Amino acid sequence: MTVQHLQKVFFPGTINERHVLKDVSLAVAPGDFISVIGNNGAGKSTLLNTIAGTLPTDAGELTLAGHRVTHRPVAYRARWVSRVFQDPKLGTAGDLSVAQNLTLAERHTGSLSLRRYQRADQTARYRELLATLEMGLEDRLDAQVKYLSGGQRQALSLLMATLSHPQLLLLDEHTAALDPQTSAKVMGLTEKIVTTQHLTTLMITHKLSDALRYGNRLVMVQDGQIKLDVRGREKQALRQEDLMSLFMA
Amino acid sequence: MLVTSIGQGLLWAPLVIGVFITFRILDIPDLTTEGSFPLGAAVTISAMLQGRSALVASLLGFLAGCVAGWLTGMLDTKLKMPSLLAGILTMTGLYSVNMHIMGKANIPLMDQTVLTGYLPAGWSVNLQTIVVGAGVTLIVVLGLIWLFQTRLGLSLMATGNNRAMSAANGIYTDRMVIIGYMVSNGCIALSGALIAQSNGYADIGMGIGTIVIGLASVLVGEIFLHGRRMWVRLTGMVLGAIIYRYLLTLAMGLGFPVDDLKILSAIILVIVICLPLLQNKYRTRQQLRRYLNQIGVDEHATNRRFDRTTSPEGLLSRDDK
Repeated sequence: MTVQHLQKVFFPGTINERHVLKDVSLAVAPGDFISVIGNNGAGKSTLLNTIAGTLPTDAGELTLAGHRVTHRPVAYRARWVSRVFQDPKLGTAGDLSVAQNLTLAERHTGSLSLRRYQRADQTARYRELLATLEMGLEDRLDAQVKYLSGGQRQALSLLMATLSHPQLLLLDEHTAALDPQTSAKVMGLTEKIVTTQHLTTLMITHKLSDALRYGNRLVMVQDGQIKLDVRGREKQALRQEDLMSLFMA
Repeated sequence: MLVTSIGQGLLWAPLVIGVFITFRILDIPDLTTEGSFPLGAAVTISAMLQGRSALVASLLGFLAGCVAGWLTGMLDTKLKMPSLLAGILTMTGLYSVNMHIMGKANIPLMDQTVLTGYLPAGWSVNLQTIVVGAGVTLIVVLGLIWLFQTRLGLSLMATGNNRAMSAANGIYTDRMVIIGYMVSNGCIALSGALIAQSNGYADIGMGIGTIVIGLASVLVGEIFLHGRRMWVRLTGMVLGAIIYRYLLTLAMGLGFPVDDLKILSAIILVIVICLPLLQNKYRTRQQLRRYLNQIGVDEHATNRRFDRTTSPEGLLSRDDK
């Protein structure tokens, strides 16, 4: 995926005008697991939203898996992009069952199809998949998702987002709304899934320790620009103090 | 009296199912109902007066309703209007359209054969109405049960439940909303076609209050039959339509004049909205008392008005997503 010269201005021409993304360019190589950090309002979420398609870009080009998608809607990009939201309620449909949610996530195409959505083999397959989460969800395939706990819902969101083997996985502070224990568990699951499937991943996080620990690349966004972009050994050499001083700068 | 209610209820059932689709599946209060119902009636009766058979005319009525739904859907999704306003606009515009189709405010059938006319003449009117109503309703219900087993149906449900999630999973939500409006208003117009044939005329004013009738019937149906399976929910809607008719008949039996039917409809809607709320509050209180007794807490020591802290689920407010 590449982002070229991306610009985003909110409320142009008013007193509230804010230039949130200033000529941002980012080239993501297949297999990259990038942690994105930055202050509140630095533009991390805006960047993620423009990549996902929830926000239109004002200037610049976006390419996904070789396709120019700059002006394409969210549903079109869903062929290649999956997303886990910060709010566990956003990533799943609460009135639908666990199995129905998984069915929706399994293929991101064919929503107009008039074929039956239930397939003979799916129950066994879904049970197996859910068992890997180790949250007891394998016995609750028919339960409505709204009755699950926040942690269960977020783990399910994660499973759903990776079920279609996306070319790009977007994680938007996906553990921020969870308690420390559950948060650690979901983060562990994330790493497991991302490494086994070799998923290209962009993860926003406010936890510097997570940003340092996970992924092969770290990007710091500040004031609408990429201030730091390190990978590999250079990233491993980074200390939390280094980042803190960058935040202060 | 009950038999008449069953017959009439079955004719109204497609309308209730239509309202159910927008209100419950898509989570949209759609006022197009008030325009698409008389539209179905106007198109059907006009077509019959021009020599079309009752069957073809009813189908035309259904399709006209779909077009009305498409229009509201476009206003809602493409022009980003609030769905209430989109419905009001279509409803208002349809008044003129209906007048143009009919040419005057009321057009009666002459000697055309209505749907019940295909049945043996020896049967009573009530039996004929029930058979026709049941037949059409069965087709609608079976069609929808099938629809909601397909990927398209699942996408519709997902869109109504969580649009952001649906879009992120590759569903073009605007399309889904438009399709939902179309199916819904098609059913509503079909109901208008049936009622007009049963009455023997189409009238410009027959749509007034239909949204209240529809919503009340949906809620009544849910009180008597609630479940998650689609066939249970749809059967509940049919039941709701019949019970609602019966309630109105009972009220008429008490001596209320026909002019008071609309206010009765409104009052019934208020009651069926409040009843489950109170029921829920009472049940929560009972459960809590039982639980507190079990763990040995003196119930008098608790806040008696804990209804302030526990908010019972309203039927109109959607469950927590």
